[in-house]
Amino acid sequence: MRNYTKPTWFAIGWLGLMMFFSLFGWLLPFKPWNFVFEDDLEVGLFSSGHLLGTDSNGYDLLSSAVAGTRMSVFIAIAAVGLGGFIGSVLGILAAYLRGKIDTVMVTIFNVGLSVPNLVLALALVSVLATNVDINQAVPTWRRVMVLIISLTIVLIPILGRIARGATLSWSGREFVTAARSMGMKDSKIILRHIVPNVLPALIAVAFLAVGVVIIAEASLSILGVGIPDGASWGGMIARGRNDLEYAPHVLYVPIVFLALTVISTNHLGDVVRSKLDSREAKV
Amino acid sequence: MSALLSVKNMSINFDTPRGSLEAVRGVDIEIPAGTSVGVVGESGSGKTVMCRAAMGLLQGSNVKRSGTVIFDGHELTAMSKEEVRNLFGSGMAMIFQDPMTALNPVRRIGSQLSEGLRVRLGMSKADALARSKELLELVRIPNAAAVLKSFPYQLSGGMRQRVMIAIAIACNPKLLFADEPTTALDVTVQAQILQLLRELREDLKMSMVLVTHDLGVVAGNTDYVAVMYAGEVVEYAPTKKLFADMRMPYTEALLESIPKVDHKSGTRLAMIAGRLPDPTDRGAGCSFAPRCKYAQEKCRQEHPELKKDPDGHLYRCWFPIGEAK
Amino acid sequence: MSRISFWLQRVAQLLIVLLLVTFGVSLLLRLIPVDLATILLPVGTEEERDILRNELGFDKGPIGYYLQWLGNFVQGDFGKIYFSGGTEEVSDHLKVAMPRSLLLMVYTQILSLAIAIPLGVLSAYRAGRRADKIISNTLFTLSSIPNFAIALLLVIFVGVKFAWLPTLGYAPISDGVWEHFKHMIMPVISLSLGLIATYTRLLRADMIAALREDYVTMAASKGLSDSRILWRHVFRPSSMTLLTSAALSMGGLIGGAIVIESIFATYGIGFEVFAAIAGRQYVALQSTVAVIALFYVFFNLVVDVSSGFVDPRTRDRRVNA
Repeated sequence: MRNYTKPTWFAIGWLGLMMFFSLFGWLLPFKPWNFVFEDDLEVGLFSSGHLLGTDSNGYDLLSSAVAGTRMSVFIAIAAVGLGGFIGSVLGILAAYLRGKIDTVMVTIFNVGLSVPNLVLALALVSVLATNVDINQAVPTWRRVMVLIISLTIVLIPILGRIARGATLSWSGREFVTAARSMGMKDSKIILRHIVPNVLPALIAVAFLAVGVVIIAEASLSILGVGIPDGASWGGMIARGRNDLEYAPHVLYVPIVFLALTVISTNHLGDVVRSKLDSREAKV
Repeated sequence: MSALLSVKNMSINFDTPRGSLEAVRGVDIEIPAGTSVGVVGESGSGKTVMCRAAMGLLQGSNVKRSGTVIFDGHELTAMSKEEVRNLFGSGMAMIFQDPMTALNPVRRIGSQLSEGLRVRLGMSKADALARSKELLELVRIPNAAAVLKSFPYQLSGGMRQRVMIAIAIACNPKLLFADEPTTALDVTVQAQILQLLRELREDLKMSMVLVTHDLGVVAGNTDYVAVMYAGEVVEYAPTKKLFADMRMPYTEALLESIPKVDHKSGTRLAMIAGRLPDPTDRGAGCSFAPRCKYAQEKCRQEHPELKKDPDGHLYRCWFPIGEAK
Repeated sequence: MSRISFWLQRVAQLLIVLLLVTFGVSLLLRLIPVDLATILLPVGTEEERDILRNELGFDKGPIGYYLQWLGNFVQGDFGKIYFSGGTEEVSDHLKVAMPRSLLLMVYTQILSLAIAIPLGVLSAYRAGRRADKIISNTLFTLSSIPNFAIALLLVIFVGVKFAWLPTLGYAPISDGVWEHFKHMIMPVISLSLGLIATYTRLLRADMIAALREDYVTMAASKGLSDSRILWRHVFRPSSMTLLTSAALSMGGLIGGAIVIESIFATYGIGFEVFAAIAGRQYVALQSTVAVIALFYVFFNLVVDVSSGFVDPRTRDRRVNA
């Protein structure tokens, strides 16, 4: 277990830092992310007092990025957790019970998958975030909830289909048949025999899904339907586009945070999957 | 008699996660021109690896090959990959155990058969296809024109094996490696394929290396037999002599494991007890000692060298059959 | 006979998916807690809104509304986009947007495959060696960078710093081929990097598996050159997964195109989706999403048809299965 490669250690370290930022970022001696440094507009990288510079609003980019981490990580973990849980339950049940339930589930998954991720997320966000009074702005907390719910709905068919596939390949094996023939209850078979075997595959995909969600959240923010003026990486990119010509570092900061995080989760997903493959090969 | 192919002191090692795997250990074999030599052994004895290595077909960075291979005056082991390749088809050719996996599933028989003719003999497409049809007729495939247009999965197992033989003999090779050519086939088809190989060998004056795990196949189809065990040649003799006077206990055990027609139904087959030794960890003594019913203390301690009887019969045993027991 | 029934079944499946997708979107619109007619005609009179409600079927139940929309859609009436000054046909918008997006996607696919195929073949051939490791690691890193980030970096460097390429807009081929490509290069590259990595990886894995097959050793024993074996014997059976993935990635591309088209102001179909949402043009949204789903399903069908040509075994196997 300990013979990780350097990239793996880097990924673990970076994600650890991101977790630290999102959990304890508020403890760091920073001004709030939207504190305006009126004398320091568009200060470059590594300036005194502003390690990562400021943007044209005078926002400090380091404290923006740290605050953005909390938002992006929270949304990603919440959406992947919810979508992963619902998707796996549906997928495992469909594959285990087969029959009509399976047909219905597969059809629902296919319907969800035949609309491109971002189109679906965009449509859901725009519908769910509509206020009864259309002229009144939607509060930030509600936008966050809407984002999480929309991204969860997007993830359910993706993760559900993978859970279903993995369950299908395991539920046909002898030990499940044996457990059935001994009269074990279905719920017990699923919990004892199916879930432990399907879980590693789902964890590998969950890492990739975190990356997908982070990118989707940022895309929605760039399109202006994410968290408006919010402290998320996508929000920083959306705002930074205005400064693109004169202060491109405003874009570099969130892009680097975002890219390193996605590279790390993708890499760890890969590591988990290759561990899984070698375990399968030994069986 | 000059040797068409001579393999000297060949060893093949595979680097695996569990360590170096010795698939072939110091094998010497000569194939005299115009003869057929059987290579017999259980699966895992190294016979297939030995043949592929002799032709230089083992790919991959984890393969280590040592020793020399001389074919028809060319020292293959000293030649470049391209130079060896020029000997394929017209010099050496190979047929494989399972024609289903050895034929490319997505290409038509015609293109796979004519490919060698065009690349090796420089024939035009039309000539190569015409010759392909003749070749299919030569291996007694009815309706050759239709078969040329078929895909492998559309043919029966026996047909596929005939196609593979046609591909192998397409450029008139001097030496044909037949690697378990009948193992994947039904018994009745096996006999037909062996018959076909015998006839082709005579008509085309080919030499042949017939790899098999079945001593019964060797009996009627070869002039010499090399018995392999755990990567080594353990007995080598003219076929008739081997069956009349075998020296190696392993060969005897192999022979006893063949089902015979006159066995009463219900009699148990004498299986060879135990299994092949771990190829990553060869012990000190004779490799066959743990399974040998004649084994003595010396067999477990010292590795026997290849001994030669005055008549040329080779064997690797401290206490060969027929000597004072 | 059985082949025909197989295709009929497949088409029926896809049609059901299409109906459910469009019905789902239609249902979603009805969930909006606001009167749709008010959104579409914020300044109109109540009579005008009543006419609109009747015209679009808002006054009917969800199913009635859906059937009315479907009837119009099938006849080519995709609905209207409502302005304060009047209306525009959604189909007119799509007529402009579709070709742009399709070109963008076709170029992206061509570029991705043109780069991924040689890279995949090379890294499978040199599996585990240095070239393979460099290719795999580089592509893995590049593919983890979101396409909008690549787009923005391209804009910063190629567009602004060096000013080699225009950063905004679209030029039809009629404006000149070079002018057309100048506007397409950056969006296409932004969308391609991820695909190149995916395709290379798939092809590499499939080819490594195929290289272990007996028929490769057989081909080598015929005395064929490495490159001939690689391309003629290994590439073709391995390209099936690649083809499937290429067609299925069309959906993801449309999603990616929304952001990329908005960054480069290409005004393709992705942008239409975005504009419909931003402008609360829900009828346009419903029809545009339906068109996207239609294309997606169509590409699925293309995979099914073409897989039979690449791997003849599937033709019969599917019919027998």
